[in-house]
Amino acid sequence: MKISLLSLITLACLSSLHAQGPLHPPEPRQKPTGTMARPQSLPPQQPIINTSSLLKVNVTYQSYNLQIPWQKETSSGRRGLGVVLPNNRVLVTAQMVADATYIELELPDSGQKITAKVQAVDYEANLAVLAPNSPAKEKAFFSTLKGMEVDTTARIGDALSVWQTGRVGELIVTPMRISKVMTQGYVVENAAFLVYEATGIIRSEANSFTLPIVKGGKLAALLLRYDSKNQVATLLPAPIIDHFLKDVADGKYEGFPSLGVEFQITLDEQFREYLGLKSDAPGVFINNVMKGGSADKAGVKKGDIMISINGSSIDSRGDYQDPQFGALSVSHIVRGRSFVGDDVEIRVIREDKEVILKSQLTRKNVEDYLVLPYLFDKGPKYVLSGGLLFQELTRAYLNSFGNEQQGGPILRLQRIANTPDEFEKEGRKKIVFLSAILPTSSTQGYERMNGQVVDEVNGKKITEIADVAAAMKEPKEGLHIVKLREFPYILHLDALKVEKDNLQLLNGMFRVSELTRLE
Amino acid sequence: MKTRFLMPAFALLCGVPFFAHAAEEQPSANQAIDLTTGEWESVVNIDCSVLVPDYREPWNAGQPSGGSGTGFLIGKNRFLTNAHVVSNATKLVIRTTNDPQPHPARIVFVAHDCDLAIIEAENGTHFEKLKPLTFGGIPKLNTELIAVGYPIGGDRISVTRGVVSRIDFRPFSHTQVDSHLAIQVDAAINPGNSGGPVLQNGKVVGVAFQGFNGRVAQNVGYIIPVPVIQRFLKDVSDGHYDHYVDIAITDFPIENSAQKKALKVGDDGIGVMVADVEPAGSVGNILKRGDVLLAMDGNPVLNNGLIRFEGELMDMNEVVERKFAGDKLKLAYQRDGKKEEVDVELKRFDPYVKLGSQYNQRPRFLVYAGLVFQPMDRDLMDAHQIHDPAASYLFDNYLTDKLYVERPEPVILTSVLTDEVNTHLAIYAHSVVDEINGMKIKSLKDVKEALSKKDVKESFVVIKLLEKGRPLALKRDLAETAHPHIMQTYNITEDAYLGDE
Repeated sequence: MKISLLSLITLACLSSLHAQGPLHPPEPRQKPTGTMARPQSLPPQQPIINTSSLLKVNVTYQSYNLQIPWQKETSSGRRGLGVVLPNNRVLVTAQMVADATYIELELPDSGQKITAKVQAVDYEANLAVLAPNSPAKEKAFFSTLKGMEVDTTARIGDALSVWQTGRVGELIVTPMRISKVMTQGYVVENAAFLVYEATGIIRSEANSFTLPIVKGGKLAALLLRYDSKNQVATLLPAPIIDHFLKDVADGKYEGFPSLGVEFQITLDEQFREYLGLKSDAPGVFINNVMKGGSADKAGVKKGDIMISINGSSIDSRGDYQDPQFGALSVSHIVRGRSFVGDDVEIRVIREDKEVILKSQLTRKNVEDYLVLPYLFDKGPKYVLSGGLLFQELTRAYLNSFGNEQQGGPILRLQRIANTPDEFEKEGRKKIVFLSAILPTSSTQGYERMNGQVVDEVNGKKITEIADVAAAMKEPKEGLHIVKLREFPYILHLDALKVEKDNLQLLNGMFRVSELTRLE
Repeated sequence: MKTRFLMPAFALLCGVPFFAHAAEEQPSANQAIDLTTGEWESVVNIDCSVLVPDYREPWNAGQPSGGSGTGFLIGKNRFLTNAHVVSNATKLVIRTTNDPQPHPARIVFVAHDCDLAIIEAENGTHFEKLKPLTFGGIPKLNTELIAVGYPIGGDRISVTRGVVSRIDFRPFSHTQVDSHLAIQVDAAINPGNSGGPVLQNGKVVGVAFQGFNGRVAQNVGYIIPVPVIQRFLKDVSDGHYDHYVDIAITDFPIENSAQKKALKVGDDGIGVMVADVEPAGSVGNILKRGDVLLAMDGNPVLNNGLIRFEGELMDMNEVVERKFAGDKLKLAYQRDGKKEEVDVELKRFDPYVKLGSQYNQRPRFLVYAGLVFQPMDRDLMDAHQIHDPAASYLFDNYLTDKLYVERPEPVILTSVLTDEVNTHLAIYAHSVVDEINGMKIKSLKDVKEALSKKDVKESFVVIKLLEKGRPLALKRDLAETAHPHIMQTYNITEDAYLGDE
């Protein structure tokens, strides 16, 4: 979350008056555009048509407490805009509906409301489609609305306009111009996507979350974040929105594919010579291949020089020439321009010979990460036994400490998250660690520990949290033995005391509702 | 964490001589001091010029600086003071209370791990007629004492008064990694008091050495007690200082009933769990994790790691602290319910020294074609503000994850002095060096040897870094041609200082 965006949300909460009466939105004025803008992007615009594609979206959300996983945090609200799609569906950012407990759609002018649910969501691409809950009310509610089309043709230099609704639902239009196109992470860290960077001023208005950016009356992007100091907006662009909607439309959402490699640029001439590359030859040095990923399936190996994907040549920076955007990170060919299951052809140089490798593109499921890159809409998995709180490590848990990092244990866990390979090699599916120790009679003497990775419980190797739940059922000679990867390496607990403590934990001052959450 | 706030009581100001009473017998505390008797002449001001080593430009001499502390005569031309008063000294001057004459001095012994040093006047004749101070014992709680020295706030000698507040094992802030017995007093101990005597009934019961920053705690000063001083004096009696020895284990209290049952210990409160054993330490091949330590030299160890020693409950390490390299320690321990006894020979445990501040040492380095290699230690990490994930992990877990076993002296590529030959490598500064030309780098000296080796691709020097996706490859001929030119451009007079041979 960027601060600039948060400030917009705060402002959104301050003014929450309903719109009344008909809308008279001003004509969005398209300024004469630069040489790169094409004439067809400036059709005459009908104000009524324009605004009938926007809705206010009000969300109440409540996230789980990541450090006390049986508790939830204080609930709070987000107010944003949604873009009406054909078939009475509404597009918002995934951020808007993360951990939602209640979602409603509101007509900007009349204030009429209808409840809705998430039909599809992708937290990596930061997009979600909402559907109304009540088919009975749906038709009437959407009768004045018109679905907006998605326009993927925007280029660098194009003029766009940001749409906001004012207090009574009037349309506020401000111009923006795309200055840069590149790839970067949206709100979670594990995937980079295409973004437009645009310059212009965005006003603080009610419902300023998820603002639509429009080109010629069609949806060109959604506002991802805004840096008000430099007046730079980062936009989630139409090609990604279009990809998401197409994927959703077939009823089976598969997500954005990825190549699953790490590579190094080869601008360094001596390095190129060391690799046996000619000075003008393209290519990047593959230094890591993710197990089970698209590249791995195709047979790409560490040490290969990757020179092209699907016929697009890769330069020594790892860019290809995109017909629409120019030089762009090669990741966009796979993630933005292809779908899961598409054929991919990767050319590499291996031992001075060119090798053509083929495969179908896949996506790494979030559940398959050693350390979950994000966690929304569900509670963290845990086992609480006798006061020992076991959890699976997630990025969300690490991020919950903010920048203060609490020194040793959290930094150590952070490092595990950054170098998962060696732990995966040990056969771990997840990192199970002691996140806290509640003061009970069974944990006497252990109270001040936290952050130790769990290796074994009662002689059973721990590869995920379910193993702990199973192993804690089998104490040996009345004792539980927990082996840890760090100091003090071993903990002993009295099995009878653990059972007594568990009963007290369920009914006692910690208000524990469940001793485990395994799903 | 508290060690962070500890400040050496070392003034950056100069003091001027003065007397205080080196009184011997009077138990009545509040006796006026007569400076004219000359008794206080043996408490001296030490003025020190220093060069602070420059770990960023290790080939430079360092930053000139200076400070002032206190010392006192303990024998013929022998002055005891703190190590931190004389650390990195280039010039020392002693001044006494009644004599304005500066007396050039030099270090005789310095022990950074217990923050003590002995200095002598280059010409000792002036001090021959003075009476050395004598040592007492460990003072009792709530008994009065006075701290004498030259702290900030004026130039003349100062006396502050307080009581013994606490006797405990404490971290010593000078190295940031050593802990020894220390006495907490509420007499004001301020910068410049460092190295000064703390007296009770006319006898020295400690050397003032550190306190808390005033924002953290009030009236908390620490003095180095007599057992630590006497250990130091005994250690140097053979002409050189040997450093403390260490048992190098980490204990974990036995408080849990299940733990007692599993470790088969009784209800008598005797025995602490051995949670970790340093493989390179004195008992690396003897004790194991999960053993229960029962006694040291026949003295029972309690379940929280304390031991009754000289009538006080103290950390069991105090038994080890009093010993010297090569001394024997009798350990009684229990493994799988079976009692064992063993005599171990104590030795110094080196790896942790890198985690602390070091002094009186010229920074070591090696420059090759503009790549600067330096051994990892605290001073280096601080000076270069290294936050590279692999380097930080290595430093933070050097002991806890036993990383010193594989890499006794990790080497860091601290900076790249850019030139056409290495300009693409500048982004790799602060990385840990793993291998050079196929040779594993375990110390700075390895770098020198490895650079002369040939990689599989002979015309290249190939440097592998920890957790960086690619090796650094320099064409050997280009690198060697560029090297002298880079040395000249960046004003480096020698390519390496690898330490005293």
